[in-house]
Amino acid sequence: MIEVLSAGLYTTIQDIGRFGYRKYGVPLSGFMDSYSALLANQLVGNNYDCALMEITLSGPQLKFSSDTVIAITGAGFSPTLNNVEIPLNSLLKVNKNSVLKFGMASYGLLAYLSVSGGFNTEKILGSYSYYRDITSNSKIIKGDLLKISPTKRTYSISNVLVKTEKAHFNSRIIEVYKGCEFDLIRGGNKEELYDINFTISSESNRMAYLLKGNKKFSAKEIITAPVQPGTVQLTPSGQFIILMRDCQTTGGYARVFQLTDRAINRIAQKRGGESILFKLK
Amino acid sequence: MMEQLKFRKFGRHAFLIDWKSKIDEIILDEILTVNNYISENFSEEIIETVSAYHSLAIYLKRDININSFIEKVKKSYTFMSKDMPAKKNYIITIPVCYEVEYAPDILSVASSHDHSIFEVIKLHTQTLYKVYFLGFLPGFPYLGGLDKRLYTPRKKKPRQNIVKGSIGIGGKQTGIYTVDSPGGWNIIGRSPLQFFNTAASQPTVINNGDYIKFVSISKKQYLKLDTSIKNGNYNIEKEAYND
Repeated sequence: MIEVLSAGLYTTIQDIGRFGYRKYGVPLSGFMDSYSALLANQLVGNNYDCALMEITLSGPQLKFSSDTVIAITGAGFSPTLNNVEIPLNSLLKVNKNSVLKFGMASYGLLAYLSVSGGFNTEKILGSYSYYRDITSNSKIIKGDLLKISPTKRTYSISNVLVKTEKAHFNSRIIEVYKGCEFDLIRGGNKEELYDINFTISSESNRMAYLLKGNKKFSAKEIITAPVQPGTVQLTPSGQFIILMRDCQTTGGYARVFQLTDRAINRIAQKRGGESILFKLK
Repeated sequence: MMEQLKFRKFGRHAFLIDWKSKIDEIILDEILTVNNYISENFSEEIIETVSAYHSLAIYLKRDININSFIEKVKKSYTFMSKDMPAKKNYIITIPVCYEVEYAPDILSVASSHDHSIFEVIKLHTQTLYKVYFLGFLPGFPYLGGLDKRLYTPRKKKPRQNIVKGSIGIGGKQTGIYTVDSPGGWNIIGRSPLQFFNTAASQPTVINNGDYIKFVSISKKQYLKLDTSIKNGNYNIEKEAYND
């Protein structure tokens, strides 16, 4: 069991997503940055689809009620265990009654905490991922007691750090495919779209990242059609919207791009104010 | 029908089959037939499908080669189209209390059209609505068939919270808020039914292709039904629809 001493800015439990229910209008949900999430699961020997904790910008304080093994990946937090700094991207032994504190991220947005065996919170419609209308909680709050699945795994703890891709946090290149309504884009030479420095709005969240920067391009609305995480919509007023993991299943704005899987993971780690550049794949 | 279909990649693990860009019951029936066929015959390759007004999204497992899979589906269509069985649809009766307590906007909807409240109820309950698809909220049905005399623009200021079960009119559409949600539609009634239930393997009452019929009930009946539903003593009225 893990006791939540403080919740942090926006902390949730996520797995790979709620597959099979989108036809009912249920969002997919799941890890925003699956690159970092999968690494966290891999480090502790969990299955790739195990539930873990997703931590946003300012992290929680957690108390462990039993001995376990954890890993932390993703954004540049400087976590401490019993007030001693611990490394990211590494396997760590945690003793009963230890307190893990995350503090603030110095780069990136999202960190992932994996625990040996995985989180065993409520599983609804085939997934542990928190979502407002589906799970009883939409985020973790102070006082929550989070269950962990038991495991008999044994570990040899070494001090080896796993190297992560630098570009995952540093690069502002977001690779895209042309979207279904690319041809509906109006307002200028479409080649210019790849030269615009778009800034991520601070109103962005797990549903969508909004882009600021250029209102020259626009597209008319379409008859409501399927959308998915990574779909880039363009509104008649010129707003670019990048749909993320908690997005609706259908939408009525022109779908002008579709992000590659890698680009979704990369943009997930961008904060409000950071800039991106689209690149045609 | 197959000649007109457009196949387009939607990222690298999904593709779309698009029909003519319009809202039309015949197109919907074709989509649902093709959806049924693909879901049943390619369950090894696909994760799930999502249909909308004129489009079907097919989400593939990650190890499936999208180009060869699209070719396989296209070929299989040409041969199989005649034998595809149509989806079975139902008429679902939805009890709605249109009394002002549950219908904060029914007066303004009525007066904007110079109708009485009774005329609004009559116009809203006399139509058999077609369910095109579910989206926007878990279980939220996109319905076709609202009487022109009830078209009402969305409210200028959306409400922070609309209670689940509320029946709204937004522009040319009517629909049911299946879960609590912010929203800008004019609320003209409320149903005590549970439209979305995560404990059920089939979490929705209404599904694409079905028909919906609203029936007016009194507040007293609403409260009685509400109690029965909460105690698990209510079966939704549902009959097979035959063309």
